[in-house]
Amino acid sequence: MARVKIQMQSVSVWYGAQPALRQVSLDVAEGAVLALIGPSGCGKSTLLRVINRLVERTPEAKIQGRIWIDGEDILRPEMDLVRLRKRVGMIFQRPISFPFSIFDNVAYGPRLHGLKDAFELRRVVELSLKQAALWDEVRGKLRRPASGLSGGQQQRLALARALAVNPQVILMDEPTSALDPGSAARIEELVVKLKGQYTVVMVTHNLQQAARVSDFTGYLQAGRLIELGETSVIFTAPRDRRTEAYLTGQID
Amino acid sequence: MMKSGKHLQRLASVATLAAMVTLLWVIIALCREGLMHWHWWVLWRRPRELKAGGGLGPELINTLSMVALAECLSLPLGLATAIWLGEAKLPRRVREGLDGFFISFQSIPAIVVGLVAFEVLVGYFHWPLSVATGTLALTVLNVPQVVVFSRQAMAAVPDAWREGSLALGATALETVWRMVLPASLFALVDQLGLSFARLAGESALLIFTAGLNVGPHWGWFQPGETLAVHLWQVRTEGLMPDRAALAAETGIVLLAITALAIFGSKVWSLRLKAYQSGPGGGGP
Repeated sequence: MARVKIQMQSVSVWYGAQPALRQVSLDVAEGAVLALIGPSGCGKSTLLRVINRLVERTPEAKIQGRIWIDGEDILRPEMDLVRLRKRVGMIFQRPISFPFSIFDNVAYGPRLHGLKDAFELRRVVELSLKQAALWDEVRGKLRRPASGLSGGQQQRLALARALAVNPQVILMDEPTSALDPGSAARIEELVVKLKGQYTVVMVTHNLQQAARVSDFTGYLQAGRLIELGETSVIFTAPRDRRTEAYLTGQID
Repeated sequence: MMKSGKHLQRLASVATLAAMVTLLWVIIALCREGLMHWHWWVLWRRPRELKAGGGLGPELINTLSMVALAECLSLPLGLATAIWLGEAKLPRRVREGLDGFFISFQSIPAIVVGLVAFEVLVGYFHWPLSVATGTLALTVLNVPQVVVFSRQAMAAVPDAWREGSLALGATALETVWRMVLPASLFALVDQLGLSFARLAGESALLIFTAGLNVGPHWGWFQPGETLAVHLWQVRTEGLMPDRAALAAETGIVLLAITALAIFGSKVWSLRLKAYQSGPGGGGP
């Protein structure tokens, strides 16, 4: 078993009086891909957003419990959010391209963190675009507006942008649900390629996708982590009745 | 239901047409009158009180410099206020209250703002009726407008962009600086042109803050009559024999400034926007 990268202990989140996550505890091994599945509104996205503490943007959000990344308690009040989010990148459900050029999109993070040297910036942008398998399509067009790219290209651009700050963990919130099957397949390939180098936590509605790309799968229902285990085990022999009901389409 | 909707639409089109025809008629009449008597030298000659052949040179310079200065003062102030209102963590009630305050402040008559500026600057600080006094009055008039349009421009920036920026490790302030402002720049530029035009046409509050005459040269504490004020003054109490023509010419110059400000900012704004949405017509 590899080293533990992310460790959550009894994490609960409320939006006002509304509980979104209840007493979730889990470990994610370094370099593994963890897929989170479950019905809509089960708390999957909240679970992602608590790892980079983006959940705190929601008014009246309240967090309880502990989360460690590499043994560092990231929920403590004096935690530096800039440093946390540099280590933990995020890809959203709708491909977000910032209203700038392709180059400036990818360079947004590095510039933010103080990289000014034009040569070095260019190197980072090129490397990130290559990692996100977008380089061949956009080389020579880096000064064009990113909004001219297709949805699938924009999602890979978002990945390149996240990779450009050199994170260790990547959170993906249904990264392919807004994409056509072809573009979705490319993102899946990328996730498989990133495995080992990055720790990935991925929320998905697509069970086949979870089965294809993840090492571990967690099933959430009504804010509770019902079951978490190796993907092959969860999909073939779930221990919990509720997981089985969801996998066989009895809960939606 | 369908039918009444159609009627309403027809009525609205007629009203729109009527408004446009009236406006165009005013503009065309003014241009005819002004261009018939047009002399280029009005742009640089000094005004004459009793004889024909006076110009608008100092008024033109006063208008441009006072409005530009007022924008330079009110823009940072209003923008900073709008940023604070929009991006700081304020209780909802406070934010809504302040927004309401600035929105209602917009509808305070300019002349009342002028009166207050007069009481404070001229009455209390004993400033003369001058360029400086007029500029400050224009600034006070303009700040709430800037706050309101900047708020609207920044509120139109999708929250997903802010979130994307924060997720990359930007602080709230960095997100404003690197994401929200650049993304709303085209809307701000557009509004800046309108605001410039509005201030250039302002007359009521300048009558008793900047004055009705011009000094021998431009200066902070020189009298600072502007084109709009000059227009009013020429037409109501002007003694020069060519006052009708001069008024029309002043109108033309004012109209040209307004048109240039609006058109120029629109072009600039559209260029910025084109860059945002891209040649393909946009994102998802």
